[in-house]
Amino acid sequence: MKKLSMILLIVLPFLAQLVVLPFVNRIDPIILGLPFLQFWLFLWIVLTPLCTLGIYQLQKSQGGLE
Amino acid sequence: MQQGNLTALSITIFIILTVVLIGFLAGRDKATRSSVEEWSVGGRRFGGLLVWFLVGADLYTAYTFLGLTSTAYTAGSLAFFAIPYSVLAYFISYFFLPKLWKVANHHKLTTLADYARERFDSKLLSSLIAIVGVLMLIPYICLQLSGIQDTLQVAGTGFINVKVVVITSFVLVALYTFFSGIKGPTYTAIIKDILVWAIMLFMVVSLPIMHFGGWNPMVDKIVNEAPQLLTIPNAGPKGIPWFITASFVSALALFMWAHAATGVFTAKSADAIRKNAMFLPLYNIVLILVVFLGFIAFLVLPKGTDPRFALLSLIQTSYGGVAQGLAYSTIALASLIPCSIMAIGASNLFANNIYRDLINPKVKGAKLTMITRGMVFVVIGLALLFGLVFPQALVSLQLLGVSGMVQIFPAIVISLFWKNQSREATIIGLLVGLAVTFTVYATGTSLGIYEGFWGLMANFSSIVVLNPLFVKKAKASTNSVKNYLFKDKKKKLELVRKGA
Repeated sequence: MKKLSMILLIVLPFLAQLVVLPFVNRIDPIILGLPFLQFWLFLWIVLTPLCTLGIYQLQKSQGGLE
Repeated sequence: MQQGNLTALSITIFIILTVVLIGFLAGRDKATRSSVEEWSVGGRRFGGLLVWFLVGADLYTAYTFLGLTSTAYTAGSLAFFAIPYSVLAYFISYFFLPKLWKVANHHKLTTLADYARERFDSKLLSSLIAIVGVLMLIPYICLQLSGIQDTLQVAGTGFINVKVVVITSFVLVALYTFFSGIKGPTYTAIIKDILVWAIMLFMVVSLPIMHFGGWNPMVDKIVNEAPQLLTIPNAGPKGIPWFITASFVSALALFMWAHAATGVFTAKSADAIRKNAMFLPLYNIVLILVVFLGFIAFLVLPKGTDPRFALLSLIQTSYGGVAQGLAYSTIALASLIPCSIMAIGASNLFANNIYRDLINPKVKGAKLTMITRGMVFVVIGLALLFGLVFPQALVSLQLLGVSGMVQIFPAIVISLFWKNQSREATIIGLLVGLAVTFTVYATGTSLGIYEGFWGLMANFSSIVVLNPLFVKKAKASTNSVKNYLFKDKKKKLELVRKGA
């Protein structure tokens, strides 16, 4: 379970910011005053640190940080 | 060029001089220049917050602000490639920088080339890495130079001789860097970062209101009048495939730059680096906003404005003297402070890994420190010379900087994890990668993919294919870095096995 969430947290930022770009490359809908592509990139500026934080916590709980 | 604004110019010059003064004061303690380790990486005593400011100051330069707005102005959303690029760069760095920092700290290393030399027992490899690093960094310093030059030109036309002021300010920066080492740019970086955030937020809030009556009317106007700016082209020489590969390769390359590595090695613990890797992506909120400033420039400025001056002209036409002055000084600082860190990175590479590893292996102690510090003048002098005398000759090197730098990634990062990576395969891979990158660039056969991506693929494949030929030797050889990296793990594994 822990291993799976670890892999997920590592892969997600790459998927979201590279692989899916062709599908989010659009103007509508406009969210928070940002056209969709810009909103998506903005979203991942905020979500990527959360992924890293999750990885950090997982590593810490496994004692893998020394 | 339109006549500048005297208030704006005085504010800009006043702020530059204040920061230079702080740069000197930062080094009034003699210990800051007592050894290469003190001078270049601050004795590795910087906590999380200082490293954040330093790396932030390092990577968000005048060129970032001027270059991104001018890309946004001419090529629309292609400019956004900088966002996934730097977000992913920090994310990736989380997985290797703490480890690299530990090796560097344990073995008292101050450059990436130092690490490669110790890891592979190869002075050839370390000097190759140093040559690539210096060669790519000087054009980058030149970019900073043209940043401040453009700024002063807008601020000071009709009042000052721009070239003289540019040269003076760079000589001052070289002097304080020589004097204070990394402490100079660190303390001034705090001022710069605060100014950057304040000014960019101020501009992003005020400009849409001034020109369009608010943020949403502005977005509506872009959607209706220039929708092409808001999406990435699907094909063409710079379409989605370019965007994705450019982001990815640049992300891998970011911490291969000598100035970024210098920033990282100042940290006092691996945990400070982890925390930075976690939170530095947030810095990019500023970058998204900066790209929108480029869109505003597109809508507001008369057609035919030189894209290079998009942001500066926007500031000039929108604000009065005081706001103009603060904005110009922000950009000027964003050019001078990174320049100082870059000069430290390049000098360090030159003195340690070209002069010592290649020319005079016996040099050490006080003499090496003096040579490292003295190189600052050579590096900044070369940048000034090239920037002012042959500005065109540098364009290719600037374009190829990232693609060239990323080629040392296997030597620096993969080698932290792959025990049997051999010296020979790594060197050949690096050379093949560089050759492929330059060939693709020179012949224009990139097929809509980022040049560095082809180079890196060739680099990786060469290493993987050739490594079995040399693996016996790599397995037989051992050294302290290899022991440090791999031995403990082996012991742990054995213990686990015994327990099971």
